[in-house]
Amino acid sequence: MNILAFESSCDETAAAVVADGRTILSNEIFSQVALHEIYGGVVPEIAARSHLEVISLLADRALEKAGLARADIDAVACTYAPGLIGAVLVGVNFAKSAALALDKPLIPVHHIRGHIAANYLAYPDLEPPFLCLAISGGNTMLVDVRGYTDMRILGQTRDDAAGECFDKSARVMGLGYPGGKPIDDLSKQGDDRAYDLPRPAVNDGNPYDMSFSGLKTAVVNIAHHAQQTDEALDKPGLAASLCRAVSETLVGRTMDAAKALGYRSIAVAGGVAANSRIRADFEAACRKAGRTLYVPPLRLCGDNAAMIGAQGYYEYLAGHIAGPDLNAYATMEI
Amino acid sequence: MLTLALESSAKAASAAVFEDEKMLAFSIQNAGLTHSRTLLPMAEGLMKNLDRPLSALDRVAVSRGPGSFTGLRIGMAEAKGLCWALDIPAVGVSTLEAMAWGGPVLDGQMLCCCMDARRGQVYNALFTVEGGRPLRLTEDRAISVSELQSELVARQEPWILLGDGAQLCYNTMDRDEVTLFMAPEPLRLQSARGVGLAAMDKPAVPAGELMPAYLRLSQAERERLARMSE
Repeated sequence: MNILAFESSCDETAAAVVADGRTILSNEIFSQVALHEIYGGVVPEIAARSHLEVISLLADRALEKAGLARADIDAVACTYAPGLIGAVLVGVNFAKSAALALDKPLIPVHHIRGHIAANYLAYPDLEPPFLCLAISGGNTMLVDVRGYTDMRILGQTRDDAAGECFDKSARVMGLGYPGGKPIDDLSKQGDDRAYDLPRPAVNDGNPYDMSFSGLKTAVVNIAHHAQQTDEALDKPGLAASLCRAVSETLVGRTMDAAKALGYRSIAVAGGVAANSRIRADFEAACRKAGRTLYVPPLRLCGDNAAMIGAQGYYEYLAGHIAGPDLNAYATMEI
Repeated sequence: MLTLALESSAKAASAAVFEDEKMLAFSIQNAGLTHSRTLLPMAEGLMKNLDRPLSALDRVAVSRGPGSFTGLRIGMAEAKGLCWALDIPAVGVSTLEAMAWGGPVLDGQMLCCCMDARRGQVYNALFTVEGGRPLRLTEDRAISVSELQSELVARQEPWILLGDGAQLCYNTMDRDEVTLFMAPEPLRLQSARGVGLAAMDKPAVPAGELMPAYLRLSQAERERLARMSE
């Protein structure tokens, strides 16, 4: 079954064709990073305008690279939540109109479910149940993946997402936007014990909930203090200390949950899964605890449409299809 | 030539189907529901009732602005999606021109089409009617109500006001200086009927190249330019 999939929830416009939820036939991405860079973050209106400019072209390319004709498409999937509403709307309205005109089923896909499904593309043998940590610029959550379409949130951030913490920290350190990659690069030259950063604990109730706003504020304060006192800021040291703090929080919570729930398989998903410290720490922790780790390759960690096509296949098998009245939503439970 | 026309630039959403100049079907919804939910089912329903498959369409016409940024994108994303799947071209039509075409098109009338653009401005274009067709007197622009009044006064004609900015102009302008009439309500607002009519003599283009004419930058871009000019 060939699914044509679209993703437009943030600052990447993407179209892809995926066969049977597991095989990528094409995966086209237009990144808007250059458009938003000068604003130091994603501007929702600019994002929505750009999606509409390029979406037809991406659909053309996805079909062309897959070597298929329109008649070979069996269903159309799209991200319908969560995300920047103006951005999501473009993909939803394009996709549902295309599905209607092609007379094929329309499959709405939850963006985070898509990130989790990126693992199905990378690991043909991976099947639920497993535990998945989904980490991106907008979300940080620990998900109990009981089935392809049966998921429970075990814990999530109470405030900022891990990616947001990296972006804001990069900003005060003058590293530009988006912050994940420059912080990761810089951290490799730094001492991860250079700064004593907090590990914000959430001790009231859910042991798997997280918080990153305190950590972000600590980094901002250190940077501002250095600026005001004219002290030299050890940027590589701060980047390394930050990566260590974020990683210890994420890896610690995830390994605790895997132990408590008895999961042998641990998956990581989302743009922040590209961070090399987090990947290395997960590898070490899983090796030590005798668990199998699944982390998608870098190109499938960030937003893409192939992951939407992968999850779309399983949503279709579960009967989750929509009509031409499908709407987009800024927020939605997984 | 079978044309589907879509309009979603303001509060109401509408769809129409044309066989050449003849309107075969028309549907409008003005209940405050998001166009993202209502517009495509309306288009689907029209075609079903006409007993024509979507694949019978030759082109899709859509209002390209000015108007609500989100509303414009919903209509245009749907137009692009339909055109992409059917491999047919699209026609982008000025919302204000569609408004004129859907208005009281009587020879010799002067039409002032305006949408409330907030910030003391209206999106506006002026038309006269000749041979049963609106003829454009100005480009689409964002203009202050007082500036617009000066233009209307200078042309020394009575004007018919159209659009969701008509009441604002009628209430704000000095009617001792310029004679104004409100267009009758059923003819006052832009609709897919006007879009279809305005699209008739316009060339279709590859739908992927269609872009909204917002007539205004995003807030972030405006603020950045303001900071840079300080």
